[in-house]
Amino acid sequence: MSWLIGAALVMSALSGWLVVISRDPKRQVFALCANSLVLALLFFILQAPDVAFSEIAVDTVVVPLLFLIALAAIAINEGRR
Amino acid sequence: MSVLAWCVVAWLLGIGVYGMVTSRNYVHLIGCLSVCQSATYVLLLGIGFRWGAGPPIFYDHPPGTPAVDPVVQAFVLTDIVVSAAMTALLLAIALQVHKKRGTLDTQHLRPLRPTE
Amino acid sequence: MTTRWRLIVLVPVLLVLGTAATEIILTLPSFGHPLTRYGMTVNTLAPALRNVSNAVTSVMYDFRGIDTLGEESMLICAVTAAVMLLRGRRGEDGNEQAGRVSGRAWAERSDAMVLMCRLFATMLFLFGVYVVLHGTVTPGGGFQGGVIAASSFTLLYLGGGYMVWRRMLHSPVLVALEGVGGLAYVLCAAVPLAFGYSALQNVLPLGNWKDLYSGGLMVIINIAVGIAVIGSFAALLLEFMEETRVPKGPVAEEDT
Repeated sequence: MSWLIGAALVMSALSGWLVVISRDPKRQVFALCANSLVLALLFFILQAPDVAFSEIAVDTVVVPLLFLIALAAIAINEGRR
Repeated sequence: MSVLAWCVVAWLLGIGVYGMVTSRNYVHLIGCLSVCQSATYVLLLGIGFRWGAGPPIFYDHPPGTPAVDPVVQAFVLTDIVVSAAMTALLLAIALQVHKKRGTLDTQHLRPLRPTE
Repeated sequence: MTTRWRLIVLVPVLLVLGTAATEIILTLPSFGHPLTRYGMTVNTLAPALRNVSNAVTSVMYDFRGIDTLGEESMLICAVTAAVMLLRGRRGEDGNEQAGRVSGRAWAERSDAMVLMCRLFATMLFLFGVYVVLHGTVTPGGGFQGGVIAASSFTLLYLGGGYMVWRRMLHSPVLVALEGVGGLAYVLCAAVPLAFGYSALQNVLPLGNWKDLYSGGLMVIINIAVGIAVIGSFAALLLEFMEETRVPKGPVAEEDT
């Protein structure tokens, strides 16, 4: 059991690092989704199902969608300039 | 093992701050802020965890079975709402900055400079 | 400040924080042996005191209900601020078409995707409502179910296109949902106060354990938070989507 928690913690550290080193915002969106899924797995392993629910719904669906829409609006404004 | 959780928290916070400092694009900066936030989630849930305990839902087993701390889970739920709202606001601000100044590069944007 | 200068300033800051972090890591209770008395007390007493099985819901909406009221107000304020920021610059014409990024290919929507999106959007919305209603019994609650139901709207957008989506979600309706949810929460706090009890005190009959109606006032607060969150997140998505529209120009081939 403890190796599972240890592995999940190390994976979340890794996915956080991946979010930071993806410098292009379009790629960072996917890193954010992956980070959120790994975190939700960690929360589930730490016996917190409510938090895992909330984390998946917010950080995998809503926040990357807002990022994508913002990037699209920026690209459209760039084109009209 | 007992130190690994806190070290991961410190690492996530540190890498998030480093990402914010060396970022060249405002949208990338907002993503790094979310990494800092995830450090707080892991810290709070790590504090409440107990070996051999189940989730704080007493549907199948009677109340009295060992369970992890529900108060810190409520904190993390509030934290996630705050993070989502803050990300939305920051993205709206980034959009407006781009419309007004035409660039999202952190080096070329100085605050309070009058528009040329 | 160039990046180099920022890094030079960052290094001593990280050194100081690193020392503090090491000190704290060595002092924290070891992982898995928490010292939290409040949590243990809630776990032991909450099911008996409030007839709920979900201790986290009881903490969020009953024992620390005032904090969640603050969080709801913050969500409403943040969404209002974002809408003001975006709409203030753009105006409220409603007379626009889809913006297009030049040089990108445009693919027709396949029938299979439209069908799947319609099916799954309905199921997802129903699932979100289910999670809200069962907040006091199983893992879930107002906030989780509200976000799931709000994310079902994005499937509608994927499947039907922007015009269909815009016709189904009217901005005043979403804002009204958000306001009704917030107002219901404030009333749940104010009405017991008006009758001589403390604010947010559980004055309704408590119901049975494992029942859909259990927890008294928590059920109403749960539903209020769910409604407010659906309204907030959908309004946020709508405002952001409106940003990708451009004023009407020459006729576009098909509106996406």
